Amino acid sequence: MRNLRLTLAGLVTLSTMATVSLATGSTAGASAAPTLSSCKTTVTSQEHTKGKLTVATDDPGYTPWFVNNTPSNGKGYESAVAYAIAGELGVAKSNVVWVHEPFDSSYEPGPKAFDFDINEISYTAARAKAVTFSVSYYDVQQSIVALKTDAIVKKHSASELKTYTYGDQIGTTGLAYITNKIKPTHAPRIYSTLDEAVLALQNGQIDAIVIDTPDGQYMASAQITNAKKKLIATQVGQFPSVGEHYGLLFTKGNPLVACVNVAIKALKSSGKLAALQQKWLGIYTSVPTIKP
Amino acid sequence: MSLSTDGDSSEETPNLLSPRRHLLFVGRRGVVASTVSTALVLLVIIGLLYFAPGGVRVRASYFNLHDMWVAWNGDPSKGILAIRDGIWTNVWMFLVSEVLVLLFGLALAWTRITKSAVLLPFRVLATAYSDIFRGVPVLLVMFLVGFGLPALYSNLATVPPPVFGVITLTLSYSAYVSEVFRAGILSVPNGQLLAARSLGLTQSSTMRRIILPQAVRTVIPPLLNDFISLQKDTVLVSVIGGVEIARSAQIYQSTVFNESGLVLAAGFFLLLTIPMTRLTDLLIARDRERRLAAAR
Repeated sequence: MRNLRLTLAGLVTLSTMATVSLATGSTAGASAAPTLSSCKTTVTSQEHTKGKLTVATDDPGYTPWFVNNTPSNGKGYESAVAYAIAGELGVAKSNVVWVHEPFDSSYEPGPKAFDFDINEISYTAARAKAVTFSVSYYDVQQSIVALKTDAIVKKHSASELKTYTYGDQIGTTGLAYITNKIKPTHAPRIYSTLDEAVLALQNGQIDAIVIDTPDGQYMASAQITNAKKKLIATQVGQFPSVGEHYGLLFTKGNPLVACVNVAIKALKSSGKLAALQQKWLGIYTSVPTIKP
Repeated sequence: MSLSTDGDSSEETPNLLSPRRHLLFVGRRGVVASTVSTALVLLVIIGLLYFAPGGVRVRASYFNLHDMWVAWNGDPSKGILAIRDGIWTNVWMFLVSEVLVLLFGLALAWTRITKSAVLLPFRVLATAYSDIFRGVPVLLVMFLVGFGLPALYSNLATVPPPVFGVITLTLSYSAYVSEVFRAGILSVPNGQLLAARSLGLTQSSTMRRIILPQAVRTVIPPLLNDFISLQKDTVLVSVIGGVEIARSAQIYQSTVFNESGLVLAAGFFLLLTIPMTRLTDLLIARDRERRLAAAR
């Protein structure tokens, strides 16, 4: 009886040691810089739904990031980047699943139903305490969008910029740019969505919206019209880069980020990412630069 | 049932409607029992929050004192507007709205109660008004006023959002308050009106000197209830671009991905409304006592 007990204890100890060593072995394998080929096998085990890469974005998704609000069509820069990352990681196009995740809930604590969120979310050190970001997949500059009739179109020297009433969506880096760099004398109007900021712009309640250049270009060239469907807004110019970039958003500590970073770096070094930017965002290189 | 028996019985048997718990738990045992039960309930509530599966994350995200401090003071370099600056927007909005609501609500109630044939169209309008504005959510009225009015009249484009907020709150809450006033006026016994008229008072001075003073005393508790609700609804101005306390907290939330500012904002509203709710309860209790005294 006593022997049996000892044997049992020995077995338990041995199996515990084996499990621990296996576990540490597998974490060591993941934390060592993964390669594209090793990722093709590890990704499957790290996915939210095994065998599928679940990608989230907000609804609606805007041009040029998405086309026709249909992320699964592979059109638009963010849709194309998501499929390119999947391609690098060996995930078939049919195994990429899109889900809707509002920006406001994407960073809330708790489990999430996606692998990563691709939604023009700018990296900041403060945000990175609550969530995990991938490396940059797009470097951003802010720009000014205003009605063609507004004074800001002609008068936008550093001191003149301070005199206007700005509006923006809550939590955007455009809003941070307004309060941090432009420092206007009137308090900015802050809306829940960009659509409301656009409505206020059309009403003349605000002079200008500060927004990243591609989104601003879309607003001015397609979105803001009058009752006769005539385009009434213009992109006044863009501000110099302040090092802002977009990152994919992961739940805090999601190990999948390591392999996704490898995929993004591979896309950069092969020139594929630059090609996608040229294809979907190419028209935005001609916007003039103005100083805040 | 005679008045005297009613008075006697309320002195001898415990009145279950008033919170006289000392009659249920008498003496030292009562003190021990109530202390233990209070402590147990508090422990259970705290335990449910503290040991919840996401407790650690939620404490860091919602109850971080450092984040509350930064959100309170703001940080323009990160685009964070101070919660302490947002507070004044809420305070002046509800102060102005409450005065306007009292005046407009009373006028509406008065219009609905008059029996004059000439005023019929206004009576119909007032009835339709209270139906519409009690039926449409305040949030939607806020959108329609805040974006609709400047679209109609372009010279209103420069009006700050809190002004549209005051207009919205006045429109919506006057409908509720007019019904409260109307109920109060109708609760004054008709004999009061007849007596006043027979003493030679005119219709309007009967209303002003006899009916309204009694009606207003009756409706103060429900009025305060509506005002508490109105104070909280000042946050709705955020949807039309006004930066007030809740929007400041949201700005902090979406900039830093931390919700502590929201908890701070909620705490501020408690500071504002709890004195109001206590005052309402006190007035209800006092009114009840006065009525019982009158019955004896």
